[in-house]
Amino acid sequence: MSLRNQTAIVGIGQLPFSKNIGKPEHVSALEAAVQALEDAGLRAADVDGMVKWSIQTTSENVIARNLGVPNLRFFGEVGYGGGGGCGTVGHAAAAIAAGMARCVLIYRSRNRGSGGRPWAGTSRERDQSQAEGNETAFFAPYGFVRPVDQVAMFARRFLHDRGYTTTHLGWIAVACRTHARNNPMAMMREPMTLEDHANSRMISDPLRLFDNCLETDGAAAVIVCRADMARDLRQKPAYVMAASQGMGPRNFTMNNFFKDPFLESPGAYAAKALWDMAGVTPQDVDVAQLYDAFSPLVLGSLEEYGFCRPGEAGAFVDNHGLELGGRLPCNTSGGSLSEAYVHGINMIIEATRQIRGTSCNQVRGARLSLCTSGNMVPTGAILLGGD
Amino acid sequence: MPDTPEEFERRTGGEEWLPYWAAARRRELRFQRCRGCGTWRFPPQAMCASCHSLEHEWALTSGKARLLSWVVVHPPVLPAWKERTPYVVVLVESEEGCRTMGNLLGATASDLRMDMPMRVDFAPSIDGDLVPQWRPA
Repeated sequence: MSLRNQTAIVGIGQLPFSKNIGKPEHVSALEAAVQALEDAGLRAADVDGMVKWSIQTTSENVIARNLGVPNLRFFGEVGYGGGGGCGTVGHAAAAIAAGMARCVLIYRSRNRGSGGRPWAGTSRERDQSQAEGNETAFFAPYGFVRPVDQVAMFARRFLHDRGYTTTHLGWIAVACRTHARNNPMAMMREPMTLEDHANSRMISDPLRLFDNCLETDGAAAVIVCRADMARDLRQKPAYVMAASQGMGPRNFTMNNFFKDPFLESPGAYAAKALWDMAGVTPQDVDVAQLYDAFSPLVLGSLEEYGFCRPGEAGAFVDNHGLELGGRLPCNTSGGSLSEAYVHGINMIIEATRQIRGTSCNQVRGARLSLCTSGNMVPTGAILLGGD
Repeated sequence: MPDTPEEFERRTGGEEWLPYWAAARRRELRFQRCRGCGTWRFPPQAMCASCHSLEHEWALTSGKARLLSWVVVHPPVLPAWKERTPYVVVLVESEEGCRTMGNLLGATASDLRMDMPMRVDFAPSIDGDLVPQWRPA
């Protein structure tokens, strides 16, 4: 049994992204959930499952009792922060395909713009993510605690061994910004050039400010339901053609430096499982949202999801390769680098919009839409398809 | 400001890590080694993934390694680290096949080359405790 095309994303909702949303995370989550229900043409009583991201303070029963959901017969959480995003859709689709639910609400609400920085101990979230957070802090006695440092440690070796340059990272940042400029919801809409990227201040050499995602208060929700229900709802269904997760060997959260090959990410494993289920190839994909909490992650995903061979990702992103009309339009709402950083739920929503034909940077006639999750941690991916 | 013991443990991976830091205070670099099959491992974990033995020792290493990667940390950082910026953190692979990190001693970032030989040394972290650090061999 495969879950291929048995479910679809039928509802999406998101509040405006900002540095300070001015309300508690659970209130934002509820507003996003109501938007997603209205978008789909569903009622709260239709919801019988929920899946949420980890590192989140809002639990399912809070959402359920506020919305007036009479019962949840399936609920769960996918761990590892930004690695868990696509996994939430995968878990929802698996539960529905297995008959454990018909209609699953997925939500992510996070006050990461106004709510402090987990690595600095200034966020309440540290208490919600102790097991995962612990592994990110192994090397705290060396002043090595920020996610950007952990990615930079990987990135220096990756760039060196593959022959990539920081200009290639610049092309990724520029592509995201170029797309964000057409997106009224995006937090960063000022133009950005390669020079702007190269002149942005150093944060963790070799990574500069514009290689980093944003600090965002944001809330969004997605509804997955059975494919036969989806056809009767308000929106064009975005069918879940495939969903996968991957961890790979000897995984450590963010400090994932102890596996072999050193440069292989959990994404390599999620990719193989995804293509095996989907029955299509990377070359069939029309548009992709590749997780970009930090720019180097995109280079790795281009290789590992099979869009190019190792060593070729630089040439792939070069010269507007990721922009609309390029080799593969990526992160078409601006991604985590320029739209918002909400552990990737905005990218799942954008992947859905591409199938609906409603993106601000619409790939004409897009029928296959890929979304991936954070690959410095256990990860996942989904492939959405149109009719 | 020094951590409480609980905070230090939380920040550095928990109880399994304490022998690593304790050895460093004696100027020793030790990694876990399985008593069942002799496999070295680091970071520490409860079980040997090769033979499933729960028995291990903290064995003394040669202190020799090669440089796998490095970063140069610039602000914003934790307040205690601000005066040290920019500072270098290195990732090394030891002769025993284990990887670990440290700050860079006796060199600057511009002296570093991929895969260059490194050797362990010990110098205080922010909290004053000796911790394993690395310098070009």
